[in-house]
Amino acid sequence: MTSISERPVDVAAAGLHDLVKPDEGAVSRTVFVDEAIYRTELDRIFTKTWLFIGHESQLSQPGDYLTNFMGEDPVIATRSADGAIRVMLNSCAHRGMAVCSTDAGSSKFFRCPYHGWTYSSTGDLIGVPRADTVYNGELDKSRLGLKAVPRVEIYKGFIFANWDEDAIPLVDYLGADQLWYLDLAFEAPLGGLEVIGPTMKFRIKANWKLAAENFAGDDYHVLYTHGSAFQIGFLPDYDQLADYIVHFDHGHGMGDVSKPGRAYQNDVGMAQFLGPDAIEYVTAVHERLQARVSPLQAEMHGLGEGNIFPNLSWIKFGAFHIFGLFQWHPKGPGEIEVWQTAFFDSAAPQSVKDFARTQMSQENAAAGIFGQDDGENFEQITESARGVVSQTRDFNYAMGLGHEGEIHEEGYPGHLGPHFSEQNHRNFYRYWLELMTTPGEQK
Amino acid sequence: MTSSLTDLRRDVEDFLYREAKLLDEQRYDEWLGLFTEDVRYWMPITETREVRQHRDHVPGEWALVEDDSRFLAKRMERLAGGLAHSEQPRSRTRRFISNVLVTPEADGDLVAESNFIVFQSRRANCEQFFVGSRRDRLVTFGESWKIAERTVLLDHRVLPRAISIFF
Repeated sequence: MTSISERPVDVAAAGLHDLVKPDEGAVSRTVFVDEAIYRTELDRIFTKTWLFIGHESQLSQPGDYLTNFMGEDPVIATRSADGAIRVMLNSCAHRGMAVCSTDAGSSKFFRCPYHGWTYSSTGDLIGVPRADTVYNGELDKSRLGLKAVPRVEIYKGFIFANWDEDAIPLVDYLGADQLWYLDLAFEAPLGGLEVIGPTMKFRIKANWKLAAENFAGDDYHVLYTHGSAFQIGFLPDYDQLADYIVHFDHGHGMGDVSKPGRAYQNDVGMAQFLGPDAIEYVTAVHERLQARVSPLQAEMHGLGEGNIFPNLSWIKFGAFHIFGLFQWHPKGPGEIEVWQTAFFDSAAPQSVKDFARTQMSQENAAAGIFGQDDGENFEQITESARGVVSQTRDFNYAMGLGHEGEIHEEGYPGHLGPHFSEQNHRNFYRYWLELMTTPGEQK
Repeated sequence: MTSSLTDLRRDVEDFLYREAKLLDEQRYDEWLGLFTEDVRYWMPITETREVRQHRDHVPGEWALVEDDSRFLAKRMERLAGGLAHSEQPRSRTRRFISNVLVTPEADGDLVAESNFIVFQSRRANCEQFFVGSRRDRLVTFGESWKIAERTVLLDHRVLPRAISIFF
């Protein structure tokens, strides 16, 4: 009897280079389900890259805090009395209990519910019940603070942290090419971006990479996965929306990039539909961009969606669109906890705010018509990848292979590709492979 | 409680049970007919905060659902179109509505509060419960009511799954 398997997958024996072959447009399904590979991702990716923590406006006062995850490690971010923002492990140095169990709030200290060890908002251990007697006065509190994340950096209000002391600066990790685009989201708002409500959280029983690679520039799926949105008139003709995708160093990618002028033209059309406040608003946003960014950036006006490697996706079309962040928190190889935060221009007219907010809930959110269909795909892909026969068939990322670098738009930085290509997926897995095959010190 | 209020509550329970049946049987056009043209359907995001730092939900905060009747109808149109992959094939659902409390308002309208457990079963083995409460403002319509305002509060901080069904 011959084996069904064309290539049995023995993860221990196979090198990651055999499983992930970006230059051939092939990635083994094993990397989406294997527990050992997942543990390696937590170590070599999630402790080496810059991970999003929160927005400065969420920590405006001393004592303000919020909780988040870096990989599977729970963290607290605080603004302490000295004004500094710190990020630390949300786990008591004594026996590991979480010292903070809420989403966000304000507090001068964090007290562990287990034995009452108490930490300041800088993470220093400041109180140990009966320390003098039970520890005979010998406990060195200075060594038992909450473990601090060594690197915390902020770009235009967005707080990122990195466990790797030797990491390149955040701004270099994001890269000038990617920021050339992203700056449009940060510079356009008349009053700056503000968080407009609680973080939306939901689970998808899928591997985190499926969501990340999708946002990195899988515009091809929009045509069919989101076919219902076109069917009911929620979206215009997709070819009228965007022209390119683009990828950058460090695995970052972006989709729905439009030619100069297209996004502004779309926004003007929408403003006429929305009314006088909206017309005035889009004009003011455009003038603001002209004053703050390069002429070509201003002419570009709107963005699309993208993924900041590893697991921070974003979406932002024109002036009437929410800036939405999606953290694909890994919870084992087969589960994602999505944390979705929405930002909008604090100085936009109320009618524009109302439109942007409701449109985002209806579009790309837990109950939105895009979000629910994406999740359905990611779940069933993950489920099918568990089969041993299924694992003999690599996922195919070959679209546009051999045709990279053929697309140019004068002045657009990064590696541009046609609207429908899997070049960004290949870029994502190239960097994934680079990190996964670079052993680091154990944290 | 006066007997008339008890009767009123029974009638409202009957209304809510029938609504649940329409959803469980996917009779979406009939379900849509239970809402007023100017309905406001709102499902805010539940937070976990310290007792003394509790925040009420306020209009203008970003929500799980913030629909008017026009978009509710769009959602139904989407389900009927065959390309709504999250409900293709349809989920099996079973709704349990309880703890109904009715507060009459001066003009004959009333506020109905209720709790719910909704079981969702998708495909072969994708199953979850959603648990929460609703606060509906019902306005008189013929012999019955229409829902003019619905606020749904799910008790989950992290939803077990993206939402493809209705509450």
